[in-house]
Amino acid sequence: MFASKRLGKELQKLHDHVPPGIKLIKADDFQEWLMDIQVIDANPLYQGETYRLKFMFSGNYPIEAPEVVFVKDDAHPIPWHPHVYSNGIICLDLLDRQGWSPVHNVESVCVSLQSMLTSNTKKERPPGDDNFVRYNTQRPRDINFVFHDNQV
Amino acid sequence: MPPGNEYAAEQLKNQGNARFKDGDYDSAETLYSQAIQKNSKNPLLFTNRANARLKLEKWDGVIDDSIRSIELLKDNMKAFFYLAQAQIAINHPNEALSSALMAYELCTKSSQQTNNAATISALVLKCKKAKWDIRERERIRRRADLLADLESKLEEGFKKAIFDIEERTAAGEIGTIESQEQRAEQRTEWEKNVNDLRTAFALSDPENLQKREVPDYLVDGITFEIMHDPVVTRNGRSYERATLIEHLKRSPTDPLTREPLTIGELRPNISLKEACTEFMEQNSGWVYDCEDGEIDKDTRWAHLSSS
Repeated sequence: MFASKRLGKELQKLHDHVPPGIKLIKADDFQEWLMDIQVIDANPLYQGETYRLKFMFSGNYPIEAPEVVFVKDDAHPIPWHPHVYSNGIICLDLLDRQGWSPVHNVESVCVSLQSMLTSNTKKERPPGDDNFVRYNTQRPRDINFVFHDNQV
Repeated sequence: MPPGNEYAAEQLKNQGNARFKDGDYDSAETLYSQAIQKNSKNPLLFTNRANARLKLEKWDGVIDDSIRSIELLKDNMKAFFYLAQAQIAINHPNEALSSALMAYELCTKSSQQTNNAATISALVLKCKKAKWDIRERERIRRRADLLADLESKLEEGFKKAIFDIEERTAAGEIGTIESQEQRAEQRTEWEKNVNDLRTAFALSDPENLQKREVPDYLVDGITFEIMHDPVVTRNGRSYERATLIEHLKRSPTDPLTREPLTIGELRPNISLKEACTEFMEQNSGWVYDCEDGEIDKDTRWAHLSSS
C-alpha cells in the first residue's frame, strides 16, 4: 500500500541524481523498473560491459524486498559471479526475505550489486548452475537460498 | 427487551454483513436498521450501519450512527474512524481531524493496532490537508478583496485628479495642451501604481515563494514521507510508527543495524513529532501529497468492515 508513493519519491530522486555507473532505463509504472549498472573500478571481468537489472515490486514494497534479476539481451550479458546464475537470478542476502530491510531502495540495491561485482575475481557460476537453470521454476522471491559464503 | 431479540438482531447483522461483502450496501443498511430495532444497545450494529452508509455517501447518517455507537462504547476506534470520514466529506475538517486523531490514538493503544494504523495515519493527513485548504482559500479570498479595494482607491484618486485638471482647464487656469499633458501624466502614474501594487502582491504570495524541501530528519526512511507519529529505536533512528510496525511484524529487527527489535521497545519521539507538525503547519499544502479519494478506494477496509 505504500509502494507507489515510495517509488514515486525514489523516482524523483533518481531523476535528480544517480551514482556513477548506474542508470535508470525504464520506470513507466510502479511494478517493474529497468536499471543499468556498470562496474566502475578496473576489474577485467566486467570491463566495458553494461548489465541490465529488472526490479519487480509488490504492493508491499519496501516492507517486502523487490525481486531483482539480471536480464540478458544482445547488448547486456549476465555478469560472471559465483552468486549469479546464468539465467540472471541473483543470490544475495540483501534481496532475501531475511536480509532485506525497508531502508534499502533501488539505488542502494544497485550500489550493492556494483560492489558485489567489483570485489569478485572468479569467472564462475554458482555450483549447480546447469541444473538450477534447467529445472528451476520458482520465482526468485520464493527460492530459499542458503547463505553459506559471506566472503564474496 | 423481549427475550430472543438479541439473537434476532445478531442474525440480521450477519445477513447485513453478507450483503455488505457483496457490495449491496442498500440492503445491508436496511438489515442493520432492522437489527437495531431489535437491539439498540449493541454499538457494533451502529458502526456497521455507519460503514454501509459511508459507502452510500449518506454522511449525516454516518455521523448519527457513529455518535450513537460512541455513546454505547467509548473507546470505539471504528466509529471515530467513520465519523472522521463523514465529517471530512461534509467539509468539517476541524471536527474530522479531532475524530481521526481520536481513532489513531485508540488504534495505537489497542493490541492489534497495526493494520489500521497506516490507514488512519493517512486519514489524519487528509484531514490536516483539508483544514489547511480552507485556511488557504480564506487567505486567497481576503487577499483578493484587499487588492480589489486598493485598486479601486487608486482608480478613485486618478479620476479625481483628471476631474481637477478638467475643472482648471474649463476655468482657463491651464491651456489645452498643458491639460492634455497633465492628464496623460496622471494616467501613466496611475497605471504604474496599479502595476506596482499587483507586483507587490504577487511577490508576497506564498504560492510564489520557493517551496522548501522537507528536511531528511523529518522524513521516514521507509515511506520517504514526512512523519506524523515518529517512534525512536534503540540506535536512535526514528521512523513512522505504522510503517515500522509493518516491518517489525515481518522481521523483528532494527532496519539499520539488524539487531533484534520488538514493537514494545519503540518509544514515541515527541520533539521530532512537534518539529514535523510545525513544518507541516508552515509549509502545508504541498507537504501532504495524498491524492483525493485514495484513502477509500481499495480493499484495505476489508479488515475494518465486518465484525
